Amino acid sequence: MTLRTSLYQKHVDLKAKIVDFAGWDMPVQYTSVKDETLAVRKKVGVFDVSHMGEFFAEGPDAIKFIDSLVTNDIASAAMGKAIYSPLCRENGTVVDDLIVYKLAEQKLLICVNASNIQKDFEWMNAHAGKYDVRFTNKSEHYSLLALQGPESEGILKKFIPNLPSLEYYSVWESGQTIIARTGYTGEDGFEIFGSHEYIGKLWDQLIAAGVTPCGLASRDVLRLEVCYPLYGHELNDEITPLDAALAWTVKLNKTSFIGKTALTDYKPKYKLVKLLVEKAIPREGYHVVDENDGVIGVVTSGTMSVVLNQGVAFARISSDKFSKGQNYFIDIRQKKYPATLVTKPFVQGGHK
Amino acid sequence: MSTQIPKNLKYTKEHEWILIEGDTATVGITDFAQSALGDIVFCETPEVGTELAQGKTFGVVESIKSVSDLYSPVSGTVIEKNSDVEGSPEKINSNAYESWLIKVKVKNPGEISQLMTAEAYDQFCQTSA
Repeated sequence: MTLRTSLYQKHVDLKAKIVDFAGWDMPVQYTSVKDETLAVRKKVGVFDVSHMGEFFAEGPDAIKFIDSLVTNDIASAAMGKAIYSPLCRENGTVVDDLIVYKLAEQKLLICVNASNIQKDFEWMNAHAGKYDVRFTNKSEHYSLLALQGPESEGILKKFIPNLPSLEYYSVWESGQTIIARTGYTGEDGFEIFGSHEYIGKLWDQLIAAGVTPCGLASRDVLRLEVCYPLYGHELNDEITPLDAALAWTVKLNKTSFIGKTALTDYKPKYKLVKLLVEKAIPREGYHVVDENDGVIGVVTSGTMSVVLNQGVAFARISSDKFSKGQNYFIDIRQKKYPATLVTKPFVQGGHK
Repeated sequence: MSTQIPKNLKYTKEHEWILIEGDTATVGITDFAQSALGDIVFCETPEVGTELAQGKTFGVVESIKSVSDLYSPVSGTVIEKNSDVEGSPEKINSNAYESWLIKVKVKNPGEISQLMTAEAYDQFCQTSA
């Protein structure tokens, strides 16, 4: 059975191309991946990401509970902040990556990947017993829009006049509606969680105001251009955050969290690198090879960058085959294409 | 999906069009194919002189998010390639039937009769759409 978001019919009416994504019938593009990507970089676009999961942790131990589960520091973050974090097992492998929204002292919202809702909820809920916390999966009750691009704030204020001025990665709650200045495109923007009815109405208003509806394909290009990892590609059940360039999200100075012991002594098996390819397009699964044609790694995500008009990729390189200053090539249809290692994101997003 | 299907061309199930002139086959991808692919950003075709076998892959067209193999509609030798389209693959989106990819000197004329007519291809697109 395929699942559909509350906005499904609106996507069909807009003549979106619909594909299966993690069991959901989702719009992959409406008109053109290129136009949708550029709308977000230069103006404003809106994504239906209602397939993502929403969990709530409420009660006196809400913060303590979530802080014990994730590798990033939730306890020390200011109230009203949003925090990106991996969620790990005892052995350090990644269950999922998620965003924790500190709504109140006793109330956190956790937004997780659609493909991992059940796995995450079972894992997290299994650890709730020793805390004074009510942990619930409200995914079915929420729809979620990501309004992204430099013109986001101006547009959103038209329809939500009482929207307070929010810092990047912070959140505001008003009744069932939760608005955060977050997103996964590298641009300024907002994610709006709300009832199906509220979100349906807001979607219509945004589209009528000229906001470009954007599908999952442009979303993937946007996140890859600014080098954000995606679960199932850069992250999976077999590797740790330290294998995926996420050391900055693992706060080993925290008193305790699941996976801390394993991650403290962990020697990464892999190094996640960013590669630019000038004359071809790297794709997931292509081999990364060295000068002697030895396979040293694999592309985890690859696309043509709309902004650069060049091939861009994340690649997972075996640590024992990684050396500074080496030359990289990507094997594309039995041809070796030189790839340039870069340290900064391919594209600099304009987020606040 | 409404697409153009010129009557004077032949077609394959892999959504290529073929213009037959004497023993030369000019090959491109159809309007249906370009529309399904979306923004085409890369195109790779073989060098002149390459021997092609019917049904085997001879190159690729890539959109931002996907790779599609090109299958040779006939056996033969590549006698010309369209460097212009290879350099500006978005031309395939603008006009699929003017943006030919390669010209092939047909080795076995009998293979031409295996290609679909415009009517048959139209039917094929409707059932596979």
